[in-house]
Amino acid sequence: MNASELQPIEQFLQTHAPFDALPDDVISRCAREITIGYYAKASAFVEFDPINPKLYLVRSGAFEVRDPQGVLVDRVAEGECFGFSTLLSGEKVVNKVAILEDGLIYHLPHTLFSELRSHHRQFDTFFTRAFAQRLRNEHKFKAKDHTTTSRITNMMAHQPVSIEKHANVCEAAKLMRDNRVSSVLVLDNNQLVGIVTDRDLRNRVLAEGIGGEAVVESVMTKHPQSIAPNALVFEAMLLMSEHNIHHLPVVENNQARGMVTSTDILRSQSSQPLLLIGEIDRQDSIEKLIHVSKQIPVLLQNLISADARAEEIGRILTSVTDALTRRLIVLNQQLLGKAPMAFCWLAFGSQGRQDQVACSDQDNGLLLAEEPDEFAAAYFDKLSHAVCKGLDLCGYIYCPGEIMAQNPKWRMPLKKWQNKFSQWVSAPDPKALMHASIFFDMRAVYGPHSLFDELQSTVLDQTKDNDIFLAGMTANALQQTPPLGFFRKFVLERDGSEVKGMDLKHKGSALINDIGRIYALSAGIKEVNTAKRIRLLMDANIINRKDALNLADAHEFIAHMRLANQGYQANNNLTVSNYLMPQHLSSLLRHQLRDAFKVVHDAQSGLKLKFMRSF
Amino acid sequence: MISDSWLKARFRLDALILKYKLKSIPRSVINPERLIEYQQSLLSQFSKSINEAQLMAIDLEMTGLNPTEDQIISMGIVPITQAGIPLQQAQHLMISIDGSVGSSATIHGIVDNQLENALSLEQAVLWFLEHTKGHILVAHHAPMDVSFLLNYIEKVFGFRMLMPFIDTLGIEKKRYLRQHGQLIKGCVRLGESRERYHLPVYAGHNALLDAIACAELLLAQVAAMGGGHQMKCYELIETIK
Amino acid sequence: MDVQTLTYIIVGATFALYIGIAIWSRAGSTKEFYVAGGGVPPVMNGMATAADWMSAASFISLAGIVSFVGYDGSVYLMGWTGGYVLLALCMAPYLRKFGKFTVPDFIGDRYYSQTARTVAVICAIFICFTYIAGQMRGVGVVFSRFLEVEVDTGVYIGMCVVFFYAVLGGMKGITYTQVAQYCVLIFAFMVPAIFISVMMTGHIFPQIGFGAELIDAAGNGTGVYLLDKLDGLSAELGFSQYTEGSKSMIDVFFITGALMFGTAGLPHVIVRFFTVPKVKDARLSAGWALVFIAIMYTTVPALAAFSRVNMIETINGPESTGVAYETAPQWIKNWEKTGLITWDDKNNDGNIYYAKGEENEMKIDRDIMVLATPEIADLPAWVIALVAAGGLAAALSTSAGLLLVISTSVSHDLLKKNLMPDISDKEELKYARIAAALGVVMAGYFGINPPGFVAAVVAIAFGLAAASLFPAIIMGIFSKTVNKEGAIAGMLTGLTFTAAYIIYFKFVNPSANVSDNWFLGISPEGFGMVGMFINFAVAFAVSKVTAAVPQDVVDMVESIRFPQGAGEAQDH
Repeated sequence: MNASELQPIEQFLQTHAPFDALPDDVISRCAREITIGYYAKASAFVEFDPINPKLYLVRSGAFEVRDPQGVLVDRVAEGECFGFSTLLSGEKVVNKVAILEDGLIYHLPHTLFSELRSHHRQFDTFFTRAFAQRLRNEHKFKAKDHTTTSRITNMMAHQPVSIEKHANVCEAAKLMRDNRVSSVLVLDNNQLVGIVTDRDLRNRVLAEGIGGEAVVESVMTKHPQSIAPNALVFEAMLLMSEHNIHHLPVVENNQARGMVTSTDILRSQSSQPLLLIGEIDRQDSIEKLIHVSKQIPVLLQNLISADARAEEIGRILTSVTDALTRRLIVLNQQLLGKAPMAFCWLAFGSQGRQDQVACSDQDNGLLLAEEPDEFAAAYFDKLSHAVCKGLDLCGYIYCPGEIMAQNPKWRMPLKKWQNKFSQWVSAPDPKALMHASIFFDMRAVYGPHSLFDELQSTVLDQTKDNDIFLAGMTANALQQTPPLGFFRKFVLERDGSEVKGMDLKHKGSALINDIGRIYALSAGIKEVNTAKRIRLLMDANIINRKDALNLADAHEFIAHMRLANQGYQANNNLTVSNYLMPQHLSSLLRHQLRDAFKVVHDAQSGLKLKFMRSF
Repeated sequence: MISDSWLKARFRLDALILKYKLKSIPRSVINPERLIEYQQSLLSQFSKSINEAQLMAIDLEMTGLNPTEDQIISMGIVPITQAGIPLQQAQHLMISIDGSVGSSATIHGIVDNQLENALSLEQAVLWFLEHTKGHILVAHHAPMDVSFLLNYIEKVFGFRMLMPFIDTLGIEKKRYLRQHGQLIKGCVRLGESRERYHLPVYAGHNALLDAIACAELLLAQVAAMGGGHQMKCYELIETIK
Repeated sequence: MDVQTLTYIIVGATFALYIGIAIWSRAGSTKEFYVAGGGVPPVMNGMATAADWMSAASFISLAGIVSFVGYDGSVYLMGWTGGYVLLALCMAPYLRKFGKFTVPDFIGDRYYSQTARTVAVICAIFICFTYIAGQMRGVGVVFSRFLEVEVDTGVYIGMCVVFFYAVLGGMKGITYTQVAQYCVLIFAFMVPAIFISVMMTGHIFPQIGFGAELIDAAGNGTGVYLLDKLDGLSAELGFSQYTEGSKSMIDVFFITGALMFGTAGLPHVIVRFFTVPKVKDARLSAGWALVFIAIMYTTVPALAAFSRVNMIETINGPESTGVAYETAPQWIKNWEKTGLITWDDKNNDGNIYYAKGEENEMKIDRDIMVLATPEIADLPAWVIALVAAGGLAAALSTSAGLLLVISTSVSHDLLKKNLMPDISDKEELKYARIAAALGVVMAGYFGINPPGFVAAVVAIAFGLAAASLFPAIIMGIFSKTVNKEGAIAGMLTGLTFTAAYIIYFKFVNPSANVSDNWFLGISPEGFGMVGMFINFAVAFAVSKVTAAVPQDVVDMVESIRFPQGAGEAQDH
């Protein structure tokens, strides 16, 4: 039998990616290994053989890949493939393939597919890319399904009912009646300036005896709380319960985009993290708080098994920590009395960045409005010790580096904090830089925002465009590199003879946090969450769009791997750590992890070039 | 359509006749028993569904169209199992002929010197029996191909036997008539038939490719008629002797 | 073992050392070491700065130029040393306070103008190109001698080595690699100097030997002082007296000025002052660097004088009539292979003879002096090999720094910030590498077709820096009135005038390059200082007639003139 006899089939392979990258002799082998099948529209869906998974190459006809919920994942026509997800991941087929048009399909056996992947790089890359693309599509969908991780956009009322600020109350009431809504947004030149609710009409108009001809402006709630369209639903709930409101305008770029009400949210069923936060807010003693906090590890496990995005898991867990911290402060203030001056409870490090995971230690400090006298000093000493101890008992162990509010060193008035930061900025020695990586990711968990903003803006003024400081930061950040050796091989850490694996935190996530921080400080960006930093930097054109998207993907992927690995360790009674053994991964995940590390490596090179002027 | 049991009965009868004939003919080098064995191996397929049955698409290239005078030049076979066509088991065979390929060479592109390594008539028949044993033959315009094969068998063994087969052209004719009422010249040729099922056009023309093309056509036809799960083999089988 | 084998071994060993340090400093354990030790100690940083500072020009050509032109050569010593002091004391602290890593960034921010930044970038690139060309020539000389090839081939080899070192190697810019390079180069420079000093004057320190009397073979004083002997020899052979210059006072003054101010404007050294986190440590390391630079610079005049005497005596023989070519010392024959020494037997007596004017039969390239000295003085072969390694160390440390400035300026300042804002990190890096490659190639071209000696080429770079960047920096720090229009106009006129003057006399009309034709008797090498004055004048004049400096910039300038940061004052 000579090769040319199957020539039309070989020719077909030769002209379609990724087979076009294969040498001729391999093509003839492929042609020999093909089993041809025919799929008629009458049978609606392609039946998959669960025992012998295959690669499906469409010779003629048209097909659609849909996920179990029926959402379109991919459309496949002549020369394109499906079925590779199962081959790559080894998981059972969950997607359905609908037959749109009768067609002939060439089946390639699993063994051949694996062999081609291992011998032909381009072939391999083609499918892992296609698979990654699909994963991304699926992720978009998954977020919608999960209440805690779903976004405001998905549930808000688009085209909110609105009225000009000079209209009178009567018109507003009519508008609300006609549209059967309980609130109306007040606009001035299309900018949101206020909100009028049923309650306002009752309390500020009727009860005050004001007539219907009064202008809306005079009775509205000015500068109402609002939320961004891509915020999480549960963040909206938090905001509502914090301010005791039921209506939240959805605002983007100062433009009203929609409206969310507490009813909307109630309708989208309550969920665990919210229940937990609600529970925390209800506890009236520290002992009870400690008891409630036992649920946090369970929450994490649930979130991991629900396959939530790592970024969102971090934000949810941090919200819980924030709530716990706030509650501890409130409860202790009930014991100690009112504070002698305004103060902010600052969260640093992972809590600041909103990417807390299991077994985080506490990194916090206290920002005081002014220099405390003896009485005030004693008061804050007691308060901070009590809160830090409470956190420790709730599972947030004391910071080994003593970066805590109970340490007098990190309990300072605004002036001293400002000096401390400018010292770090002007003399970036290694210790200062080590501190910088923790302290520059700061967020106020409790206290007046104006006080915190004052600190943050003076700090950012100093770091912005301060090349010498940034060069120092960069040099420090580049001390750690992703665990890739020559020829992109994974480098495993060892402890004596014992192989520990790859440190996904210190040689993965932390590096991306460093990169995000340096760029953010250089641009004077206030945001501290790494994913948001990257997004803002991309929007501001400081990081190239492609680089930013890659970096954000890598950040999510590495964090996800770390969480998944910890979930695996917990389920198998192993010590929970940041170390991952690559042999526990499928070849696809290994490949993707390698790509993610490569992205980090490239981003580090970019950082070095930009801020250290070297390569 | 003939029913399953009627079909089987006919074959049993044919086998009896063959066995009777065997006694009267002299023992040759080639054991004629294998012909009966071959025939018996097919019986179990009749009652299976199309998807489960062992089918073998076949196509012959001949020097002409007359089964008694013309010769087979090449033969392509490919099995059809579980509604799939495994190309790994596809085979292509050259058969040596008396004289030259002649004018037909222009059709199938086989030139004399390509036939140098070809099998002799006797070897070819044995090869065919060995490789298609237990498989129902499928061909486009099958009666002609099967007639050629039976003639060859007779030349080797000295007698003919009853052969079952599935004819895609026959199936297509019936389906076309049911849909359109009357046939148009050339409308059930392999290429035209395939087009109606959105099957790709294969550039090239040899026994193996045509066998594959025919196998694909059968899958398409079966799918169009409600799928190979329900349809039984005997519903499509015809016979010839 | 012969010299060549030894050279391979020693050069190889030094490279192994650099690579070893690079690997060691990349290993994870250094982080703890680094944090625990509070960073690099000032002494080490001083050495690293000195290695950045001392180029192939300092190492290879400085002694040569002093040796050949005597007193006039001292302008380089004075200019460079002065420039370093100026840089370390008057500029670095302020720039640091300003928080700017590179000179163009400072200028861009201080003059609130992207145009000013771009002009400064172009000036910096131009200066670096010129400077690096000098390095290439130096490396070429080293390779040509020790691989016994033509000097051009030596430059090609040098180009490859420098390119791989700068673009591919992970060795550059690491403080401890630089420290090692300093150690190699200073050792290589001092060993032959000490050897010769001991042999000729009996003093271990060449600096003392320089002013001492010569001794004879038995070790007894001859009563003749080295410089007297040299003056005598020079007079005898028709040269001007060694200790008296041929240049006019004004020329010497201007050349020294140009070198000094140009040095202060050089972009690659200033970065070193910022890699030290604490201001106090930065000052200390600047001081140490001065000490380490001084070790070499004070040896230069001594080495120059020793080698001059030695050379003349070996060529002309004890009777000053020349020696027969057949019996000529081996080093002359060795260097003839490189084309850097040529002998033209004008009077056909078969003798080689060195003198000024018509009688001279030897053409000797100045750049070989340091490299040839150990051979002339018949020192052991390993000393000769060591000098090669030293020259290479000097060239590598400086050219890597310069190539980084060129390549990152092109990719980041020109492309990313101006022309192609959308390029990705990877592309930026690619362009940086391409720019480095182009830099090496162009520098190599000028190294092969030099418009002058290494030191002279470098002097031009300094002149250009003095005329363009230096005034802009100084006015940026010390003036509140100079605005962006003034700075841009000043830089452009300064650079243009100086470049035009140099190009005219050095390339367009070299025959006219004599003091009679010079403006006020100032040579092209010294014209940078004139350019500087033009720059100042234009800048102030233009600033007067254009919009005033914005208030926030005025505040900024005021704040950086305080010697220390507010935060720091409280802490230390």
